[in-house]
Amino acid sequence: MYKYILRRLIQMVPVLLGATFIIFAMVFALPGDPTAGMCGDRPCSPAFVAQFRTEHNLNDPLPTRYAKYMVNLSHGDLGTNFRGVKVAEDLKQRYPTTAKLAAMAIVFETVIGLIAGVLAGIRKGKFIDNLVLVSTLLVIAIPVFVIGATMQYYLGVKWKLFPVTVSSGATFYELLMPAFVLGSASIAYAARLTRTNLVENLRADYLRTAVAKGLTRRRAIGVHALRNSLIPVVTYVGADFGGLLGGAIVTERIFNIQGVGGYTFTSLHNRDGVAVVGTVTILVLVFLLANLLVDLLYGVLDPRISHD
Amino acid sequence: MRGTTRTVAMVAGVSAVTLLAAACGGGDKGSSGSSSSAAGKTGGAVTVRGCNPQNPLIPGNTNETCGGNVLDAITAKLIHYNPTNAAPENDIADKIESSDNQNFTVTLQKGYKFHDGTEVKAKNFVDAWNWVANGKNAQLNSYFFEPIEGFSDVQCGDADCKVKPKADKMTGLAVKDDYTFTIKTTEKVSNLPVRLGYTAFAPLPDSFFSDPKAFGEHPVGAGPFKFDSWTKNTEIKLSKFADYKGKFPAKLDNLTFKIYQDDDAAYNDVIANQLDVIDTIPSSALIDDKYKTDLPDRNLSKPVGVFQDINFPPSKVDPAYADPKVRQAISMAIDRQTIVKQIFNNTRQPATGWVAPVVDGYKANACGEYCTFDAAKAKAKLDEAGGFKGGKMTIAYNADASHKAWVEAACNSIKTALGVDCVATPVVDFATFRSKITERKMKGMFRSGWQMDYPSIEDFLAPIYKTKASSNDNDYSNPAFDKLLDEAAAQTDAAQANAKYQQAEALLANDMPVAPLWYGTAQFGWSDKVTNVKVTPFGTVDLTSLQLK
Repeated sequence: MYKYILRRLIQMVPVLLGATFIIFAMVFALPGDPTAGMCGDRPCSPAFVAQFRTEHNLNDPLPTRYAKYMVNLSHGDLGTNFRGVKVAEDLKQRYPTTAKLAAMAIVFETVIGLIAGVLAGIRKGKFIDNLVLVSTLLVIAIPVFVIGATMQYYLGVKWKLFPVTVSSGATFYELLMPAFVLGSASIAYAARLTRTNLVENLRADYLRTAVAKGLTRRRAIGVHALRNSLIPVVTYVGADFGGLLGGAIVTERIFNIQGVGGYTFTSLHNRDGVAVVGTVTILVLVFLLANLLVDLLYGVLDPRISHD
Repeated sequence: MRGTTRTVAMVAGVSAVTLLAAACGGGDKGSSGSSSSAAGKTGGAVTVRGCNPQNPLIPGNTNETCGGNVLDAITAKLIHYNPTNAAPENDIADKIESSDNQNFTVTLQKGYKFHDGTEVKAKNFVDAWNWVANGKNAQLNSYFFEPIEGFSDVQCGDADCKVKPKADKMTGLAVKDDYTFTIKTTEKVSNLPVRLGYTAFAPLPDSFFSDPKAFGEHPVGAGPFKFDSWTKNTEIKLSKFADYKGKFPAKLDNLTFKIYQDDDAAYNDVIANQLDVIDTIPSSALIDDKYKTDLPDRNLSKPVGVFQDINFPPSKVDPAYADPKVRQAISMAIDRQTIVKQIFNNTRQPATGWVAPVVDGYKANACGEYCTFDAAKAKAKLDEAGGFKGGKMTIAYNADASHKAWVEAACNSIKTALGVDCVATPVVDFATFRSKITERKMKGMFRSGWQMDYPSIEDFLAPIYKTKASSNDNDYSNPAFDKLLDEAAAQTDAAQANAKYQQAEALLANDMPVAPLWYGTAQFGWSDKVTNVKVTPFGTVDLTSLQLK
């Protein structure tokens, strides 16, 4: 088990290195000069452009730039973005906010998604099942910015139940509505996954056996069927955490949350490679760790899966 | 200004929304931009919409609105622009005198203090301007000092600044005594005093020069507000400067710029009274003037110094557009009125010339029939030129802002009127778009725009159409035009100078280097709590007159 974890952790090193290089190269390959758009519709002065390019190593060829970046990174220095702010400083401020938002979205996703999925699964074909199917279909079909803007307008602006935007503190209460919006599509997927797997397992031989030997329905479903149905759901939720971290751009904009999504977007837009690589590298790391956690959870859910 | 000055977002349309949000209503110059009168109280705290400054807050290095709005509130300049009509008024300057438009003597008022307690003296101006102009310091706004004698000597010898400037100081600036200094320009400049109100000309305290970097994090000015704190990505806090002795004191005690990434979020906060002032209305709220019902009696639309146009490619890049008659035909084929109404919800004002109506020297109808939509005349003009020889026409735009709708509409208008196919061509984003233009690789027509640096007719002509001017994207060159500009700059009488500039503008109608489209207006909204919201012709809120009810 520990050997397995160690092996996985060591495997992460080349993945991370490769990922940073690919991202670095991709930002480098984007067309358009970073200084071209800085002075509006007019070109910047040559002196400014020259200094800017030197300051941010823009004149070096790709391998040199990457090497310089990695040397700094090995000292824990993520570099300075085009606005003259340390990337580490920006990320220290932004990642906790986004992580909080994503974690709350995951809680919504698992709690509401599981409950809805289980209810639909055990009452297959009944009213509640149809209700869950139709409502999740609706949520999946509506783009997240429509859900976000609508909820913001009615719950925030009109009925004043929730704050319209999130302040610098990003409190639990302020993040409730954005987290729900962010998690909405995932809630629907989690509910549908749970339902489908549960329905399948309810027809399985081992469950008939369990009921036949006298287990209560609650125990048969809750312990045996549900546990086996959860493996795909856990895989989905685990992978989704990373997705929610990076994919919160739309939600972050609507509710003015100063998180990593918007940061990545503006940095990409400004061709601010150093900022993009710093942000995305951490995202990759989170993805890898979440995947490891999911793999370990398989063993807990299904003892037949072994990591030795 | 060579750069699009401060409103990068507006003209560049990084946010298309801002672009969409221009211009409604009457363009009569001097229309008051204030909210219904106001018996507001003094003191209190107000939060206005801010955005992320792109650079450290140094006046010489800030050319966009996000940092510019903050710096404008904390700095005092020689000149202050009247918030209603942009007329220059003396601020720190007691008087600025010149008999020949080339040698200027500036006398300062006594008693102005920086926020660190030191007095504003003549050397604070001279040192600051020398520092910003110096190529070694690579400041974005250094070109503002180009007219001053000795500017070229403080520039680097090569692009990478390996060859250091010949001099540290411009010969054109000299301190006479603590409150007097002189400016000598290389050539005659009739409107130099008007330019001196731009933030780049703000004086800098002695402490700046020892540590410019620290200053950029915590700027010190001599303005009505002083800088308190800056929480990156979140908010910038200012408070009233108690020792301010000038004519434009702040009425509020505290002012916070809350940083938003999205106009819609800020707009919703204003409706809910959680934010006090916004300086852009999102496009979604412009449709059918929705913002006027959402914010009854707390909104305003005002013309600002923004001009937008379709630029023709330099003839060596794309000869198909070289004939002025072809360009005139295209200009006449664009139905500005309909596009403004249907696409911009009347938040633009159809252009009748190359100079925005808010500035001194504006003369209506400089473009005449060539900016009036007339399909038959347009077609006749094109036939006169022997038709269009480039196959199909294209208009390029940056796709990261909302230009698509109007560019397509303009193309349709051209196609219908001239019978030549016209295609709206997106370029992935603004950085790429600008690269292609400056490298002279952009074939076909492309959109462009101009946001004024200072309120003068000259600012809409010289930097864009003079031979080899910094923002002359299509390499336009007309010796007669250049000559008129030089003559205008030599006039000591403002009215006569303006007359010369107007003559120069009239020449553009014959050559049609760019086809004028429309002038901008800006829309504002505010909460129930504030009053006396005045909007300047620059499209910013006058923060000193802002008050709580």
